[in-house]
Amino acid sequence: MLRLRWTILPVAVVLLLLSFPELNDSRSLLILLTKIFIYAVFAMSYDLLLGYTGIVSFGHAMFFGIGAYSVGIGMDVWKNSLGTLLLSVLIGVVAAAVVSYFVGILSLRLKSHFYAMLTLAFSGLFVVAAEKMRSVTNGADGFPFAVPEFFMDRTNFYYISFVFMIVVFLLLRRFTRSPVGKVLQAIRENEQRTQSLGYEVVHYKIIASVVAGVAAALSGSMYAITLRFVNTTVFTMDITIMALLMTIIGGVGTLYGGIIGAALIEYAHELLTSLAKVHPIFERWIIFFGLLYIIVVMIFPMGIVGTIKRWQTHRKAAALGKREGLPW
Amino acid sequence: MDIVVNLLLNGLATGMLIFLLAAGLTLIFGLMDVLNFSHGGLFAWGAYAGVWMFALTGSFLASIAGAVIAGVVIGYIMERWIIRPVYGNHLQQILVTMGVMLVLGELLKVFWGPNTINAPVPSYLSGSWQIGGVILIKYRLFIIIVGLIVYLALHFLLNRTKLGLVVRAGVMNKEMIQALGYNIKRIFTLVFVLGAGMAALGGVLFAPYSGAVFSEMGLQFAILAFIVVVIGGMGSVKGSALASLLVGLSGAFMAYYLPDLSLAVNMLLMVFVLLVKPSGLFGIKG
Repeated sequence: MLRLRWTILPVAVVLLLLSFPELNDSRSLLILLTKIFIYAVFAMSYDLLLGYTGIVSFGHAMFFGIGAYSVGIGMDVWKNSLGTLLLSVLIGVVAAAVVSYFVGILSLRLKSHFYAMLTLAFSGLFVVAAEKMRSVTNGADGFPFAVPEFFMDRTNFYYISFVFMIVVFLLLRRFTRSPVGKVLQAIRENEQRTQSLGYEVVHYKIIASVVAGVAAALSGSMYAITLRFVNTTVFTMDITIMALLMTIIGGVGTLYGGIIGAALIEYAHELLTSLAKVHPIFERWIIFFGLLYIIVVMIFPMGIVGTIKRWQTHRKAAALGKREGLPW
Repeated sequence: MDIVVNLLLNGLATGMLIFLLAAGLTLIFGLMDVLNFSHGGLFAWGAYAGVWMFALTGSFLASIAGAVIAGVVIGYIMERWIIRPVYGNHLQQILVTMGVMLVLGELLKVFWGPNTINAPVPSYLSGSWQIGGVILIKYRLFIIIVGLIVYLALHFLLNRTKLGLVVRAGVMNKEMIQALGYNIKRIFTLVFVLGAGMAALGGVLFAPYSGAVFSEMGLQFAILAFIVVVIGGMGSVKGSALASLLVGLSGAFMAYYLPDLSLAVNMLLMVFVLLVKPSGLFGIKG
């Protein structure tokens, strides 16, 4: 019965979301959902690192930004067509793969502290670089660009990003269930033991960081296409914080936790900023999520998805404390 | 000539400020095995609290005192309620301290608004002396002197007192210190609070130096402090002092001669150290 419910629910949600543009003509809700799909991919790519491999990156925004800027600059420089759009997305993907490979080689040999610290420093470098190269990026003011007509239609783009999210979800799920994915989870559980079983831990960590970087770059490209505008905020810490909040509050090590987290945070963002007229504290809505995040990290490591699921299956059997299959 | 002297002073002053941040970071890491990602938040809180006190009282000493007290209080609360429950779990520490950084930064905006706030230099420290053709800016000299005093005091505390002996022994072997009958938890709290106070001091000194405080300053300086800690080596105060001056000086000279590359040069320095000696120049722990 329970298993049936857990299969019916996602299918129902997918059907509902597919028919959504037919049922509803609220443009702002359509844009909100599109944003949620794109952020969900970013959160899932982060979950691959944090939830499946057990490494913390504070510079995930750099891959998001690489994807966004490659589309922005590509469409700004070249003639506006589907071919150039795909080419610039591809360039972003390759650049993200190269950058994540080198950052990984430099820092993944060291303790987890170093990776967190170095990715933070590297993404700081990208912000500065994007601000300094004003001739290309126009700094913090950013620049608008054109995309093919087809992508400008909100309904079309809604479907594209929905399919994009589902495809990336399925691919990442396939990846986590592959032999390589199993090794990554083994690293999360016990790094020394995995190493002593003969797996070169660093190589697998680098594979994880490259795959996560590529997925993040794709979501960054999609983000730039929806806005048809790009500025330096795509590289800032706020973007990384977004991924952290979404994966951790949603639930790590599940992939779909990131989707739930993205939906929750983006929806709450919309709701709370509209409350800013009531009280200025809602302008600082992220503070509530910061506190929620701290509580989740300290007390409910399974996040919302995991904790609810646990409560359902085990009723009140302790949903607190450390569980199997979690990075911490 | 006067440009070189000016850049030298500028670099040393920035280096001293980074040192105030990095020393706490490296000590906390060395002793407690906690890398505190919210350290920059304490720096920013020190700056804001100091500027606020200065506007309130008009006394620079009161503003320094206010900032350090703010840092110490926040540091104590943090250590007691947030860091202590997650000792020994690296991933949880990294995540939770970053969450604290986020909350501290947002709280700054709640209390003081999101815009930058001007931070005046107290009248007796503003202006400069002119010796020959060289202009010495008073406030920069003041920062350098304060930084030197803090370094010497820290050096004295660590190497000449019983407490320092216990702390240094704790960095090397925590379990042994406990077995010898010292309450390591109390020492942890003390070191954390000391680091928090130094970060806040760095913040309040930075405010008039840059002329303004802004909520992103914490993260900016934290990145520099991390670079310094990696170059100097985790757990080494001497290493972070030298690396701070190195980063401060290279930042100042690069900002003048090659302004586009100033952060990049520091990053390259760090990458080089990581490739050649991953434990840092004076690293105790790798």
